[in-house]
Amino acid sequence: MKEPVYEVFARKSREEPLRHIGWVNAMDGDLARVYAWKTYDEQNWAEMCVIPRSAIIPVDPGESQFVTAARDDHEDEIVHSRGTGSYGGADVAVKEGR
Amino acid sequence: MTDTLATAAAYEKADQLPDDVRAPLRELILALADSKRVLGLRYSDRMLGSPTLEAGIAASSMAQDEWGHARLTYALLGDFGDDPKALEHERDAAEYRSMNALDAELDGWHGMTAAGLLLDMALTAQYAALAESRYTPLRNRVQKLLDEEKFHFQYAASWARRIAQVPELRAGLAAALERALPQALQWLGRDEAPGARRMVDEGVVRDLPSDRRARFLARVAPVLEEIGLADPLGVSRDAGEWTYTGRLDWAGWDDATRRAGGSLDEVTAARARGDKNRALLMD
Repeated sequence: MKEPVYEVFARKSREEPLRHIGWVNAMDGDLARVYAWKTYDEQNWAEMCVIPRSAIIPVDPGESQFVTAARDDHEDEIVHSRGTGSYGGADVAVKEGR
Repeated sequence: MTDTLATAAAYEKADQLPDDVRAPLRELILALADSKRVLGLRYSDRMLGSPTLEAGIAASSMAQDEWGHARLTYALLGDFGDDPKALEHERDAAEYRSMNALDAELDGWHGMTAAGLLLDMALTAQYAALAESRYTPLRNRVQKLLDEEKFHFQYAASWARRIAQVPELRAGLAAALERALPQALQWLGRDEAPGARRMVDEGVVRDLPSDRRARFLARVAPVLEEIGLADPLGVSRDAGEWTYTGRLDWAGWDDATRRAGGSLDEVTAARARGDKNRALLMD
């Protein structure tokens, strides 16, 4: 199975805007919350959110680091096959049966 | 806790507690601290070789959480006349009061998951019963710990759901849960234990062990039901309340240590004490 990418956003106080701080691979939203909180714990965040990368719709797909292409067969369905270079974060295959 | 007790003065120091409350409360705090310390060790043994990198990072962080909780809990015992440093670094294995269920290493990822879902959450149910304690030092320390434990629960519940979907792993998970469940339930203690009722009467602990068992089941049973293992594990819902239909064997049970015989092994105790780095121990 594939583990999707969740983008992680956080802010240190209510007054400041959410900013992108990284990403995690997780099977579902619950685990993404745990992984994000446990991985990006170097700051005392006031709020942290995780968003499935597949839910991010780029205004300009050509420029987006989150999502890079729309599938030909479903105009609205976004895949994220590129954009993993220096930025990182791609779907990873999870081995069954460990 | 009655309304009268709810508004009664707080206990700021352990020596203000009635004798028949102070003694069982000390036993409870020591059992919590030892269990947290050994649980942290068991988690740390699983953080390498985890199914995914993120799962390993989270396991590492959870191990650190548990050791932090243990340190914080041992420190409470200074108010009871104990030397927390001696408790942490100078006791033999036989003196440890950690859960019987933690005497053995966690068997694979299903063992890690069962420990997270059942053993860790039994400890959390006990801490939750102290969150509004009239004994102020306890009340001041518990809430942050409970906040951190919410992530431990999510982690374990998500992995339980995942493993239960993998045919070749499902039986191993069921077996690990079957071993851990009665031990987790039993660890929460007996209503008849010396001081159990007095601690409730004095507002030091919120409720009796049987109430804590119900709260514990209310949290974990929906996960067991979701993965189709509630019935096989003897957990059922009656009129909205979850109950365990299996039998808890109290033969040999020691209310003070919350153990039924046996002992932590000396190798694990040496790791818990930090023997290898003893020369570097700082005051």
